[in-house]
Amino acid sequence: MSWASVPPPPGIQRASYGYTQTTTAYTPVQVRQGFSQPYSIQPQYQPYAAPANFPQLQPDPSAYPQQQQPVGSQQQQKIDWPESVRLYVQRSFETKNLLPDVTRAEMETKLKETITYAKDAGIMYTTDWDQMPLPQRLVQAERQQALMGAMGASTMTNAGAVIPATAPANPKKRKSSDLSEPDQSAPMAAASPWRNTKGLSLQDRTSKPSNGKPAKMDEPLPAKSKSQKLAEKRQRRFDGGYQSSYRSPSPPPSDGPIAGTSTVLEKRYLRLTSAPKASNVRPEYILHQTLDLLKKKWRKESNYGYICDQFKSLRQDLTVQRIRNDFTVSVYEIHARIALEKGDLGEYNQCQTQLRALYASGLKGSPIEFKAYRILYFIHTANRTALNDAIADLTTAEKEERAIKHALNVRSALALGNYHKFFQLYLDVPNMGAYLMDMFVRRERLAALCAMCKAYIKTLKLRYITEELAFESDAEAAQFIIDHNGQDALEERDGTIVLTVGKAKQHFELARKEAFRSVDLKGQI
Amino acid sequence: MDALMQEFKTAYSAEKGNDLAKTLSPYLPESPEKLRSIWESGDSRTIREDLEFLFTQGNPARLRLSREESGGWQEVYFAYWKALGEILAVEGQRTDGVKSTWTKVYESWKVFTNSLIRGYTNCEFENWTIPCLYIAGKYSRIFAMRSDAERDANGDDLGATYQDEFDPETEKHKSLEDCGRQLNRIFNTCLSDRAPLSESRKWGIYYAINLLFKTYFKLNQAFLSRNVLKALSAGRGDMPDFDSFPKSQQVTFKYYEGVLHFLEENYEEAEKHLEVAWLLCHKDAKRNLELILTYLIPCHLLRTNTLPSAKLLEPYPRLQELFGPLAEAIKKGNLRAFDQALQQGEDEFVKRRIYLTLERGRDICLRNLLRKVFLAAGFTDDDPPVRKTRIPLAHFVAAIKVSDGEGIDTDEVECLLANMIYKDLMKGYIAHEPGIVVLSKSGAFPGSGL
Repeated sequence: MSWASVPPPPGIQRASYGYTQTTTAYTPVQVRQGFSQPYSIQPQYQPYAAPANFPQLQPDPSAYPQQQQPVGSQQQQKIDWPESVRLYVQRSFETKNLLPDVTRAEMETKLKETITYAKDAGIMYTTDWDQMPLPQRLVQAERQQALMGAMGASTMTNAGAVIPATAPANPKKRKSSDLSEPDQSAPMAAASPWRNTKGLSLQDRTSKPSNGKPAKMDEPLPAKSKSQKLAEKRQRRFDGGYQSSYRSPSPPPSDGPIAGTSTVLEKRYLRLTSAPKASNVRPEYILHQTLDLLKKKWRKESNYGYICDQFKSLRQDLTVQRIRNDFTVSVYEIHARIALEKGDLGEYNQCQTQLRALYASGLKGSPIEFKAYRILYFIHTANRTALNDAIADLTTAEKEERAIKHALNVRSALALGNYHKFFQLYLDVPNMGAYLMDMFVRRERLAALCAMCKAYIKTLKLRYITEELAFESDAEAAQFIIDHNGQDALEERDGTIVLTVGKAKQHFELARKEAFRSVDLKGQI
Repeated sequence: MDALMQEFKTAYSAEKGNDLAKTLSPYLPESPEKLRSIWESGDSRTIREDLEFLFTQGNPARLRLSREESGGWQEVYFAYWKALGEILAVEGQRTDGVKSTWTKVYESWKVFTNSLIRGYTNCEFENWTIPCLYIAGKYSRIFAMRSDAERDANGDDLGATYQDEFDPETEKHKSLEDCGRQLNRIFNTCLSDRAPLSESRKWGIYYAINLLFKTYFKLNQAFLSRNVLKALSAGRGDMPDFDSFPKSQQVTFKYYEGVLHFLEENYEEAEKHLEVAWLLCHKDAKRNLELILTYLIPCHLLRTNTLPSAKLLEPYPRLQELFGPLAEAIKKGNLRAFDQALQQGEDEFVKRRIYLTLERGRDICLRNLLRKVFLAAGFTDDDPPVRKTRIPLAHFVAAIKVSDGEGIDTDEVECLLANMIYKDLMKGYIAHEPGIVVLSKSGAFPGSGL
């Protein structure tokens, strides 16, 4: 696919997300008629954050080069407006389409925003302008949304069972989507312990920064600091084709957490290089809706690139607002589970690190489950120091919990080279631990085969190996041996397949050394 | 202030580094009156002029101070004076009632440390004055830890970061982390001196390194010590002999170097360095000897399969408690007792980071048990009789069942035996189908006299 072959601008994750899918969850019809849905998203001109559900956004790979136009010159460039855009503008101003409660000025502003966005994002030629909601409709929808937001409506209207897109490949394992999540609506109202312990409400902090002046995010700023300018310069270099060169002045880093005002459910993740803008940050009640939406999308579409990106921005919004409560825990837990399922250890590890701190501060969640993962993770990365710390973290009661006991047993079985016990534990893993164990099961099989080849004489039945090393079938065991160059050592005798240990030994020794050397510590996708 | 300057002059003209360092001590409990009078004799408006007067007018000829050097020391004493103000304030000893925090103390001491480092790099401070750097480094670490503890106790929120990739663990030790960087500067100030050895700052290097090690271990970032060792070995060529440094510094350095290897599971190197530390350590430094043994004993267990004698442990009741039950279980080949002993001491073992190492002693325990089975098999009827080397697997299964006390099946026993053979703790092979273990005629259990 030519899209993917173009290197993305540095600093921005290459991910095509859901945009490449022609069937988006929200059709323009829904957007126009279903205003009751609090989470329908309107295109807005926002630096960085592409409106996630830009209606009928269908990028055509062949159109991609247009996005590579030099960004800085765009403002001055004479634009050759496509016919569809002209018609769209025309339609907007048709009398029959005008709405009484939307002023012409509002409409014009919105229209300009919409088209500018399309132009800057390089999707002007790929957008289906015939289906694009008219600006007056967008303004109306936005108002509706703001209203819903103000009322704190967080109920989802799209109830109904969602069937996972794919059947679980391995019945042994639980999927992240199988896990029953506790009801998220309850803890929302409760103030976070963080706020309680500080004795200052969020409001106090934002309205009284240490300099004594009232914090106004939209206040025009005096001269930018040098570091700020540098940061912006750096940002511009990395921005590539994703935004125009113009950036609104960003607020100075405030001392306290900010309170977000954005009501957009989806947001692309971008690493912050300056203080966040309240208008780009979603408040907690919106984030609750976002989480619900993401859970649904994950079950339905299982598009990891998209989900991971959305979770990262979700986490970011929590962090900048210093929201640390049970909801925070559940966000990290769910993201950790999804990352585990997809083998994205880098993200998983980030979540795990935060979870450890969150649990330590006394927040609820599933500490047992995640403490067990943590042990398994450090077994995988062969990080003895961290493993020692993980054990030190456990209380006596926790050590008796099934998941943790299992993880500890895995650890001790491996430490003592007890592969028999190890593979029995592999067959019966609580929660999603099997995804972690999968990461190191190959190298442990090699280690076990090395020991077997040295200790036994002549031959071993393949059946025995299959059973001892928990292969699904003899065929899988044979394949494993062949994959490690042991084909010469396999032969058939009296109707059963046997492994000649003397012949296989050196191959396994070699593969074992290789496998134990390369533990991928940060395997980020 | 005058009195302090008098002390400075005396120490300086006699070139007594330790005396000079004492004039910069911030240790309040030792001489609270003195420190307070130093602080009160200064006036923030005139202190700089006062210092300049004392340094330039007060008989400069006798001190042979160059203009740069004099300016450097003025900066140092100015920073010292300001730091004293914070220290007195935090301890509630200021007569004007001003309060302060340990974080402020740490920051002011950092300024002091930096002025001192600048003195060496820019103002020609001589190498005999290095003990001043020791004082700076030592208290930098102490103040940093107090600052962290204070913030922790107050529950202060630091996170000025907007990213969630920060590690909350390191946030907790923010000051100490910063202190690590300061100490690293001191280390480099010593390391990078190219003056001839007789007047080189390299003589301060092990003091700085030991402080760094302590800090890194405390931060749970022992691996950072690797960089220090790398830098050290890169510059080894023009370093004074290790033997010519004070013994106390040698012992501390060797101990940390040994533990570092220990944590990296490089027991051979660990054993080497710990042994040097053990032999050099002063006989009355019980606490240090105990620390060295804490790591040396597990090393010996794994490397040479030897256990500490009762006589060795006699003076150290804590070590007796720590290793006694384990050693006993290993000697007897009693798996259940071993597991219990390991579990009993788990918290302490984990805290000292020897749990994962000691756990591997179970192999030796198992080896001793299997050896007993071999002995129990007795001799053949041949003349002269030789030991029976073909032993049914069932015998080993029975032995492990008795010793372990847990349900264990034949497959697992086979697995354990395969491991023993793989690790060269036992010589021989397993015949799977007939269920027979054939042991080597000579040296079936290497190193155990059989």
